[in-house]
Amino acid sequence: MVSVSRKYAFCATHRLHAAGLSEVENRAVYGKCNNPHGHGHNYEVEITVAGPVDAVTGRAVDLTALDALAMREVIGPLRYRNLNEEVEAFRTVVPTTENLTFEVDRRLRAVWPEVFPGGVPRLEKIRIWETERNICEVGGL
Amino acid sequence: MIISKKVEFSASHICRASGLSDAENERVYGAAANPLSHGHNYIVEVAIEGEPDPVTGMILDLKRLKDVLEERVLSVYDHRLLNREVPSFRNLVPTVENIAIDIWQRIERHIDATGRARLYSVRVHETSELFVEYRGGA
Repeated sequence: MVSVSRKYAFCATHRLHAAGLSEVENRAVYGKCNNPHGHGHNYEVEITVAGPVDAVTGRAVDLTALDALAMREVIGPLRYRNLNEEVEAFRTVVPTTENLTFEVDRRLRAVWPEVFPGGVPRLEKIRIWETERNICEVGGL
Repeated sequence: MIISKKVEFSASHICRASGLSDAENERVYGAAANPLSHGHNYIVEVAIEGEPDPVTGMILDLKRLKDVLEERVLSVYDHRLLNREVPSFRNLVPTVENIAIDIWQRIERHIDATGRARLYSVRVHETSELFVEYRGGA
């Protein structure tokens, strides 16, 4: 069993604002990320998969298929978007890095068996860098 | 406790499986199937698990680990065409997955003579966007 991690990037806008909190509370919780005009990041998404190494190809994952999947489900739909306004999942959910990581995980898991029959390799972990210092991880814990 | 050491080597490789047709090789490996080869600056991260020795405060002798990596990996891999010049890859495609497994097999038995420390994982970064991790076993 080998794990393979592949990194992708996209740029997007978001605004952190919880509908259930007051203006004052939102500013207290999210600070400058609550700016009503929004702001953006260069996000990096790392997808980690784990599986056996194929005896013929020497690969644990078809990288062409993984790249196509990441482009179709994640990078294509999110890049150069205003996450709050243009991504359905964030109409009611605050697009924090935590929620963004859950959303990427959900998008990949929904179609994973179609792309990787039998679920091999398995989707192990998603990590998202919002900045160099803010990193969020789901799975593999 | 885990301690990790990082080393680098530069090498070229060709990702083509002899059991596959040209078209299949192109599909599986993309540009990496170029029969004239291409190269990378690889970064190898070796993680060792163990408890610090009560006297020295160290999990293992890092100088010795450096020597093991130099002798068993870097002197074999660095500035080589992996397919032709590293015997492990005569009949095995030198994908980054197989490189990680080969490095594990080369160093595992030589990590620590005292039995205090054991090899925990081998990570190989092929580019800043792709790395693999192997922790032994099937």
